[in-house]
Formats: sequence, C-alpha cells, structure tokens
Amino acid sequence: MSGIIEARGISKVYRRGREEIHALKDVDFAVNKGAFVSIIGPSGSGKTALLNVLGCLDTPSGGSLKLNGIETIGLKEGDLVKLRRENLGFVFQQFYLIPTLTARENIELPLLFGHQNGNKRRIDQVLRMVGLGDRGDHLPAQLSGGEMQRVAIGRALINDPKIILADEPTGNLDSKTSEMIFGLFADLNRRGMTLIIVTHNLELARQAQKMYTLKDGRIVGCENLS
Amino acid sequence: MNFLTLAAKNLARRRGRTILTVLGVAIAISVLFSLLSLNSGYEKELNKEVSSMGVHMLAVPKGCPYEAASLIIHGGVIPKYLAAGDLENVSRIPDVELATPMLMHQFLKVDEKTGKSTPHIIYGIKMEEMLQLKPWWKVEGRFFADNETKVMLVGRDLAEKENLTVGQVLPVGPKKENFTIVGILERTGDQDDQFHFFPLKEAQRVFNKEDKITTIAVKVRDVSRISAVSAEMEKIPDIQVVTMTQIMGTIMNLAGSAKSLLLTVIVIALIISAFGIINTLLMSVNERTREFGMMKAIGASGSDIGKMVLMETVIITFGGGIIGTVAALVGSSLIESFVKGLLPYSPTGSLISFSPSLVAFALGFSVALGLICGIYPALKSARLTPMEAIRSGLE
Repeated sequence: MSGIIEARGISKVYRRGREEIHALKDVDFAVNKGAFVSIIGPSGSGKTALLNVLGCLDTPSGGSLKLNGIETIGLKEGDLVKLRRENLGFVFQQFYLIPTLTARENIELPLLFGHQNGNKRRIDQVLRMVGLGDRGDHLPAQLSGGEMQRVAIGRALINDPKIILADEPTGNLDSKTSEMIFGLFADLNRRGMTLIIVTHNLELARQAQKMYTLKDGRIVGCENLS
Repeated sequence: MNFLTLAAKNLARRRGRTILTVLGVAIAISVLFSLLSLNSGYEKELNKEVSSMGVHMLAVPKGCPYEAASLIIHGGVIPKYLAAGDLENVSRIPDVELATPMLMHQFLKVDEKTGKSTPHIIYGIKMEEMLQLKPWWKVEGRFFADNETKVMLVGRDLAEKENLTVGQVLPVGPKKENFTIVGILERTGDQDDQFHFFPLKEAQRVFNKEDKITTIAVKVRDVSRISAVSAEMEKIPDIQVVTMTQIMGTIMNLAGSAKSLLLTVIVIALIISAFGIINTLLMSVNERTREFGMMKAIGASGSDIGKMVLMETVIITFGGGIIGTVAALVGSSLIESFVKGLLPYSPTGSLISFSPSLVAFALGFSVALGLICGIYPALKSARLTPMEAIRSGLE
C-alpha cells in the first residue's frame, strides 16, 4: 500500500503573548491509502493540531508534509484550497451546519464552492449513503444530534474526497449514536475511503485499524488493531 | 442552491436584525429619492407658475420685501397700498405695453355647520386687461365686465373644494352683500385655481378700499427692455419693482438653502445607515468566524466567503432601496406636504416629479452603498486563514 499522507518531523509552535506553546514536536506520521486510523490522547496533547496540519488547514512550523505525493509546505492559499477541495473531507465536533439550510443544502455547500452546484443525483446518493434518504428537506433544528453529524459527514463526502479527517466527531453525541457514527465510518472505510479520526473515546478508537497515541505533542504509541 | 440563495438564507438567521437594518436603509433611500424628485419637480413647477403669470414685473409698495412679491403670486396679502397716481405714471413709460391694477384682499369664510373659518383670497382685477395678460383663461359660464356689480369668478380648485357652481350666490364683505358666481375658470394648473376674482371697483367698494390698489402688473413690449423699464419705474417714489426673474431668483435661493438643509440631513442619515450596515455585517461576520473556517475547510476560497458577505450587504441595501423607493412613491403626498412646510414658497402643482431614471438611480445608489459598506466586512472574512477561523476549536 502507498502512503497517501507522509508527514516528517512536523513541529508546530503557537505564540500566546511571550509564551511559546509547542503543540507538535518532531512528529513523523504516515497513513496508507484506504487505512482507518484513530488518534487518541489527553486534552492538550496536540491531536487537533496534528489533524489541522494534516488537513492543510494550518501550516507547520517545521517539517514536511506530502499529500497524495504532493509536497504541501510552501503552497499558496489558492493551491491549498484546490488541494483540500479535491482530496479532503472534514468532520467537526460541532457539526457547523448552517441552520437556515436544509440537510440537502448543507451537503451541497462544497459543490457550490467547487462551482459544481445543482448535482441533485450526487446529493441524493450521499444522503442515502449516510442514511438520511428521507430527511433531506429537514432543517438542522428538525434533526437529532446523530442525524446532524450524518449531514456533516455527507457534506464531507460530497466532493468524493480521498481522505476524511474527523475531529472528535462523536464528542457531542451519546454512546449509542456514537456507535452508529463509527459504524458509518467503518462502512465508508470498507468502500475504500481513508479515514483519520481524532477522539477521546478509547472504545471507539479501537475500532480503527491503527491507533496512535499523542502526549505533549509527540507520538508516544502506535498500535495495530486489525 | 447558488451564492445568492446562500447569502439570503444567512440573513434569515437574524431576521429581526436584518429587517431593522433594511428599514434603516429604506428610510435613507426614501428621503434621498424624495429630495431628488423634489429637486426636479420644484424648479419645473416654479418656472411654469411664474410664466403663467403672463406678467413681466410687478410694482409693489416700497418697503415691501421680495418675499412679499413672492406672496403675491401665492395669493398673500400685503398690508400696504400704492398711491393713486402710480398707475398712470407706470402706464406712461414708453416700453410698457400694459399696466393693470390689482387689489388683493383676504377674508375669512365661516363654515355654517362647523363654525371653522378658512381664509379666502380675493383679487380685484380689470378683466379686459387681465385677459390680455392671460389669454389662455377659459371659463365655464362667462367672464364679467369691468363695470358689473355683485359678480365674481372663481378658480376651479376653489369651486371644487367648496362645491361652488355657476349662478350660486355668496355673501361677501362686512355687509354680507350677495355676489353671484358668473363663471368658473377652467383649470389653469397654477395659483389662479384658488382665488375669487372681482371687478376691481367692486372689490374696492365692498372692502372699503376705494381707489386703493396693492399691485400693478406690468407687461413690456419687448422682454429685452425689462431692466430698462424696471429702472424707469424705480424712479417713481413709493414704488418698488420686482421682476419675475428676481422673484424666481429669490425663491430659488431660499429654496436652495432649504434644500441644502435637507441634503445635509440626508447625508447624515446615509452615513448613519452606512455605519449601521457595516456594524450589522461585522457582527454577523464575527459570529460566524468558525463557520467560515468550516467553509474554508470544505473547499471555500477567500473570495467565495468575501463574495457571500458582499452579497449579503447588497441584499440588505437593495432591499432597503426597493422598500425606500416604493415608500417614497406611495407616501409622496405626505413627504410633499412636509417639504412644502420647509420651503419659503411652494408652487400649487405637485412638487415631486418621478421619473424611471430617478428610480434607477435610487436603486443603483442602494447597490453602490451595499458594495461600499460590504468591502471591509468582506475583506475581513476573506482574509481569515482557516486556522484563524477555527482556532477556538483548538485544544
């Protein structure tokens, strides 16, 4: 299997006033195509910082990052937008659904930004994929937490990305709903999708094929689970 | 879905705030639109009115300010009279084609039912001479002869307002003498529609102003001689000459001050509403910072976000522009009466003249206002890096 993500010696330093916060320290991280990887660690360990660097949302202070074989460090914002649009799908803890848009319209958003809006067939297909075939015309307020996260996952899937990056996707959900969401991720993985999921929930994290443990900005553990 | 729908649905999230901002813009645009309509309408009506006088200049008693001269065409009453020989002296000036005496008087008509009194203006005129000055006058019924007694002519608006008909008899003057309406003027579109016209001698007799006149209306043979005739007339003691150009100039000056005052108010209103829009947009942008981060994460570029914010602003201002313009069109009579109160002299006709190009300007202005106000919030949101936007989600 080839490495779809290859990060070497990644470091990330934030400045808060005079204080320097070393969120990531010399992290090496590689993910193969079609892998299902979870990242766990205590609060402040650098999980989200790593996910944001891997997703090209944040530039690392040092190191190199190859995405699908392309070196991303030093790319201009316009190129990064294209890279994210074509390769990555993001799922957040807070869902970030637009309350005045229906489930269908929320899922359509990335198509609008990619100037491919109006692809009704693709939206219906994604709605069915996330189990919301009959809920497309509902507003977020009319959906349960689990359904809202499914909409967010649908939104991440609509551009047919190569990798899904999820930051605490079950952080706002009860355990039963969390199981269902992870079941959906496992299903996507079976279809060949590469998944990188940050979570606090060890039980769920163990459903991945590989589990990384972060502490104080360093990878301190890597466990093959399947 | 397209960007316009997205922007509109974003605005729908804070419905109350959006509506208030739109109303703020609507008020500013409505006042701006009214003022612009008024500007073109006022000048047009004033020109029409002055030329409909058929008179090149007026001789009024000395000490009478120009405003009083403007009162004359408005039907105001001057508490001073010209001397007996003045008419003769004016008529004698070579270039004067016609000099006709007029007496203006005001009386209060008491409504028998309500007890309310309304001021009525009476012009004592020499009909034959007046018809030379105003050959366009037409009448329902007949004109009176200068030597007739107890007859009058009334203006069309006045007749309609008071339900007056030809043949009707009205009590006039301190002795309540019965005067018969022999004719009703066909609509002239100027102040003449508002007045009673009496034979000059009758007006002087009824109101105890024997041989007194308030004004001499003068027509010259050649308009290029107006200033020469005016200079000649000024030599007559007790007479002050006001040419129509002067009256217009004075009125336009006074109206100009009133208009600058209004314009200042509008500019302030527009600035306030512009800051209101910017404030609303900035609040909305700040509230949605993390959401913009999400959008960037799912493939939005900076210009996509900026475009969306700019569209939101333009929807607000264009919506305000439409509401403001419609409100100005619907409430034009209300605005007109307010503005008429502010102006030193108002012609009878409608001051507000609407034109499609003015509507297009008002709407175009509202879009421009949106683009100007939206630039900063749009740039601010477009420049956010995805991480800046979702930083608060960082561990």
